[in-house]
Amino acid sequence: MPDAFGLAAIVTKFALYLGVMTAAGTVIATLMFRLDRTRGLAAAFAALGLMATVLAFSLRGANLTGDVSGMTDPEMLGLLWSTPVGTALLLRLVGLGLLIAGLFMGRIGTWVSVFGGGIAIWSFDHVGHVSGRDTTLLYIALTLHLLAFALWIGVLTPLKRLASSSGTYALAADVGHRFGIIATITVPALIIAGGYMGYVLVGSLDALIGTGYGQALIIKVLLVGLLLVLAAANKLRFIPALRLGDSAAANHLSKSISVEWLVILAVLGTTAVLTTNLTLPT
Amino acid sequence: MKTILLAGMMGIWATGAMAHSPLDTTTPDNAATVTEMPTEVLMDFKGDIRLTRVSITHAGKHSMDMDLGEQKAFMQQFALPMHDMGAGVYVVEWRGLGDDGHALNGTFSFTVE
Repeated sequence: MPDAFGLAAIVTKFALYLGVMTAAGTVIATLMFRLDRTRGLAAAFAALGLMATVLAFSLRGANLTGDVSGMTDPEMLGLLWSTPVGTALLLRLVGLGLLIAGLFMGRIGTWVSVFGGGIAIWSFDHVGHVSGRDTTLLYIALTLHLLAFALWIGVLTPLKRLASSSGTYALAADVGHRFGIIATITVPALIIAGGYMGYVLVGSLDALIGTGYGQALIIKVLLVGLLLVLAAANKLRFIPALRLGDSAAANHLSKSISVEWLVILAVLGTTAVLTTNLTLPT
Repeated sequence: MKTILLAGMMGIWATGAMAHSPLDTTTPDNAATVTEMPTEVLMDFKGDIRLTRVSITHAGKHSMDMDLGEQKAFMQQFALPMHDMGAGVYVVEWRGLGDDGHALNGTFSFTVE
């Protein structure tokens, strides 16, 4: 069992993933599907991402001294700044800052926000288990994996909102339908990229079954499997029914999205444990 | 469902380890018994590391931070001066930063007769 700092690091990492992925996903979905009224959503999650970014950096300082003093120790934080951890911090602050600024810049601002979201997502290439490996393909896989998942997360809440009011049922059906088409490319890409990273990082079936890292990865894959079942129900049943004007389908879609969100939180939580507290099999 | 997920995650936490210990060798060796108090402790890492805190506990009672002196750079070998606190078990707890930004930590011990 990790100590208090270990737990704090996991919770902060979870908030960081939730904040960055949802904020970036919301602005990407807004651009792709011309969504309205997503500014508050994107701003709130970007703010969560910013807070978690700063806290995560500070907690790394505590890790270096073994006590709270490290969280504000200029020497420790300066030291971290000189490593890739500092680069990731800078990219997240700039990326999320641009994302928020873009929200208040009108139509062109959406592009600024998407650019910022991309930078924030790109920051994950600089730290963690993928960084420091001379495999360009691994970086590409991680970036694709994150972008595809961000879009998935980003479309959910706006879609649920559209499906919650009879005036926008048609729009919900349209957005859901268009996302369903894009998802036939992005979701397989997400799975292939994730599978490839798992293969490179874990390496063998023994390591998958026999190590904590491998077992956590299995849990993550099972959760994503559950997510796919829910998504398939949306794409194959509820969205087509809604397009035909079946208002009961809107209710089903809305509930299905709520459950999807719960599973997504579990996926992000498992990922936070994977990247924070478990070491790669050697 | 939330309960199941939570239970699953607790399970992972329980098996987790904060183990990032690239410490190759130490002098005295880990778990060694020496007849005389060494004047310094040598730590040899597998890669470059910047030590951030090293504390030593004698006989499970007296704990103090060791002086890192000028050894505040990313390097592989460290020699830290020791204070003789008498016979007994010495536990050295170290923390540091790998040049990839990974926090590292570990413990080793030796006994002075």
